[in-house]
Amino acid sequence: MQISEEIKISDNGFVFNSRTGESFSLNPMGLEMIKMIAIDNGFDEIRESILEKYDVDELAFEKDFYEFLAMLKHHQLTQQGNPLDFV
Amino acid sequence: MAKQKITLAVTGLNNTDNPGPGVPVIRGVKDSEEFDVRVVGLVYENLEPGIYMEGLCDRIFQVPYPSAGSEELIERIEHIHQQEKIDVLIPNFDSELFSFMKYEKRLAEKGIRTFLPTLKQFQEREKDKLPEYGKKYGVKVPNGLNLGNLSQLNEIEKRFDYPIMVKGQFYDAYKSFNIEQATQAFHKIASKWGLPVIVQEFVSGTEVNVVALGDGNGNTVAAVPMRKQYITDKGKAWGGITIADEKMLELTRSLIQKTKWKGGMELELIKTNAGDYYLVEINPRIPAWVYLAVGAGQNIPEALIKLALGMEVKPMTDYKIGKMFVRYSYDMIVDLERFATISINKEI
Repeated sequence: MQISEEIKISDNGFVFNSRTGESFSLNPMGLEMIKMIAIDNGFDEIRESILEKYDVDELAFEKDFYEFLAMLKHHQLTQQGNPLDFV
Repeated sequence: MAKQKITLAVTGLNNTDNPGPGVPVIRGVKDSEEFDVRVVGLVYENLEPGIYMEGLCDRIFQVPYPSAGSEELIERIEHIHQQEKIDVLIPNFDSELFSFMKYEKRLAEKGIRTFLPTLKQFQEREKDKLPEYGKKYGVKVPNGLNLGNLSQLNEIEKRFDYPIMVKGQFYDAYKSFNIEQATQAFHKIASKWGLPVIVQEFVSGTEVNVVALGDGNGNTVAAVPMRKQYITDKGKAWGGITIADEKMLELTRSLIQKTKWKGGMELELIKTNAGDYYLVEINPRIPAWVYLAVGAGQNIPEALIKLALGMEVKPMTDYKIGKMFVRYSYDMIVDLERFATISINKEI
């Protein structure tokens, strides 16, 4: 899964879709994750990084992460080549 | 380089909650680096806010409504022209365009240049002909039905699922969820704008618009797409943002090329969740949000004046994405004298 080319991500968590004109606000955790996805980090790399930095168990992370991805997809912020690729 | 001096006449100074495009057109022209513009404001009502805005118009004249007769309107313009020597006239209301198109040649002979669509272009995009228009030019449009009388309302339930849009020929649109609401909307619209009243299938999605300018030879001189961010209860954009939607631009260029559209235009589109674009209306003039296009890098009013004057205009293709407009209301404190002068003398 990749963040679409037309998505602009600001350091303050403001996300703008220049094709649709929609904008979104991310909290610091969301911003950190979308930035990692944007630079093509895979699920394992993102999990490792988050588990190392924050006090969160693996199961909770996994659940929240996939929920976050579903949200990105729902708002058309991502482009997915292979539908079986989750990240 | 010295700016070229011109006198421009503009209508649509009604900057209300359903704003006319006159004020933003003038703002665009005043931003021009090529023209030094003297502005003659043409108003129908003595409370059009543009009359009272400081530094907007050099002269103001009240003109008769086109419904009083095209001839009377044109004679009044000619009378104003004797005093003011108008170089270019930009009409900004749908309802007056017919009169100006009809007398385009007569005005041009007097030296008043316009840049308007042809009568054919104007008529074939009328709301009651939209289904045929969509078919002819290969654009998706909502299913529609023209109601010539009240008894035809029964047809609605046979042909549409609710909600539906009930629209007037020129202005007004109401979303109706049942036959009672549709009947009420029919009466409201028919009494104000006459028949037919147009019923359209409701297409769910995001409201997006394009402001564009065609040179009459099939070329798109300017085009800026916008997504409405804040919509008033009258359906007007109170805030909007320029977007990078290539499909909307392609659709615009294709329509202008196929129709050889001449003049300013606004395409009103609905983008569905599936990514389809439905054309719900074509306004045959510059829209009230045109100053967003100016701010984004395409001075459409200036380009229209150049085309009217027969000057060469290179197509503008770039614009800034993510530029926004946010409208506001503002109370001007004005002296009674100005109101009295326009009311009694019909000019300021």
